[in-house]
Amino acid sequence: MRRWSRRLRNLAVGVLDLPQDVVLEVPRITMIGHLQMYIENHRGVLHFSEKELRLLLTNGQLIVTGEQLVIRAILPEEVLLEGRIGGVKFLEKT
Amino acid sequence: MSQWSAIPGGDEGEYARKVGTSMRNGLQEWMNGHITITVRGKRFERFLNMAVRQGIQVWNIRRVGTEVSSCDILLQDYFRLRPLLKETGCRVHVQKREGFPFWLFRLRKKAGFITGVALFFFGLYMLSSFVWQIEVVGTKKLHPEMVAKAAEQVGIKEGVWKAKLKEPQEIRREMMKLIPQASWIWVNIQGTKAIIQVVEKEEQELPDPIGPRHLVAKKRAVISTILPEAGKKAVTVNQVVNKGQILISGIIGNDQRQKAVAAKGTVKGEVWYISNVSVPLTRSQYRYTGEKQEHQYLLVGPYALQIWPWQIEPFAKAESSEERYSPSIAGFSIPIGWKTVTHAEVEPVAQELSQEEAIALAQQIAREDILQKAGADAAIRDEKVLHVKRENGKVYLSIHFSVIEDIAEEQPIVASPPSPDPAP
Repeated sequence: MRRWSRRLRNLAVGVLDLPQDVVLEVPRITMIGHLQMYIENHRGVLHFSEKELRLLLTNGQLIVTGEQLVIRAILPEEVLLEGRIGGVKFLEKT
Repeated sequence: MSQWSAIPGGDEGEYARKVGTSMRNGLQEWMNGHITITVRGKRFERFLNMAVRQGIQVWNIRRVGTEVSSCDILLQDYFRLRPLLKETGCRVHVQKREGFPFWLFRLRKKAGFITGVALFFFGLYMLSSFVWQIEVVGTKKLHPEMVAKAAEQVGIKEGVWKAKLKEPQEIRREMMKLIPQASWIWVNIQGTKAIIQVVEKEEQELPDPIGPRHLVAKKRAVISTILPEAGKKAVTVNQVVNKGQILISGIIGNDQRQKAVAAKGTVKGEVWYISNVSVPLTRSQYRYTGEKQEHQYLLVGPYALQIWPWQIEPFAKAESSEERYSPSIAGFSIPIGWKTVTHAEVEPVAQELSQEEAIALAQQIAREDILQKAGADAAIRDEKVLHVKRENGKVYLSIHFSVIEDIAEEQPIVASPPSPDPAP
């Protein structure tokens, strides 16, 4: 059943030209250089420190590393992060 | 590529909208008051997630120490944190308070100072709502003091409250009643100054009553027209009159009943003049040579600074004209300007006149001279050149003019009027 739904969604992306973040539940990330980062579609904060922000996603985790990280604003599905961002890493749920 | 094109163009706009309006609202934060809290505890992330899910606005989250974080929340959300803290075992400490409620609170501590400031402005406002000065403008014959006294009766005096003053129209009406010499009065209040503008009536000056008089001849002449308006005609047209002869008599009536009146009327007569004129046959005139010099000056206040040219070689004889340019900004003139002086060189040129030209010129001069002597309403009736003589480079002319001019002159009648004697 789950596999069917997933295939249907992929089909919708391909055939109907819908943006992927809407159909597939993946985050949409907007970055302004290495200074600011805007993440939509997250599922909560797992860990936050000056050097790392770990966000829960629908199927996996998003790890943002950097220095002097500050969460400028946070909403249930959105995060605005500032600081010197060094890296972005996805962890796929196994 | 096709996937990118599917994203609507206003991608950044959407981002800005979210960040700018829905995620933060600076004014609301300030109005409601916000606090910076430090949260101490191992399960800060869980606390944060729960808070966000409950709709508590959290911002500026930063890690301060290993188990200490700080974040900003609205003042109203502070008490909603308590169950979350209990659940996660975190402790909260308020670090900083900002916004309108705290500002008010702080204000209360400086109440004395604030009331002082308020009282000062109130006092200033109160003082500015009185009339402190009265100025009378536009009086010529009237004494300003008198106008001020009249104003005081109407209610305009120093130290009166502006709100207590009557309507301008009513003030005007009453002032006009008090000062009948004024044709217009207006009271204008500018700040704490009452300016009373007065326009005085222009009193018509009555002409001096004319006493009984005769009209007599100013000079020897032949009467051409005589139009008496008051008095008795004493001469007839074409009669020769001498200087001082009565033209219109102020004595009317017959021998039994006489009355002296002010004679009035116009008497015109033909007067002969002989004028001698001399005109030189050569005359010098100045003529432009075409040479020009332009000098530029910078005007600073009352001084003119020559800018161009550095050295001036003046002409022997020149006519100069200057042009000034001083800019003004919004009606205010600034004391810096520009002046251009143009010198145009002139040279004398000798002109030879022929005898005919000289005579014509002499006649012209004589005519002007005669008209000036005879008065404004005189007219030349006839002119004749009597004699022309050429001598020492000059032309001498004597011209005879007969001029029609007003010859009447007033002569008051004193005590016993002289009997009008007929013309010789």
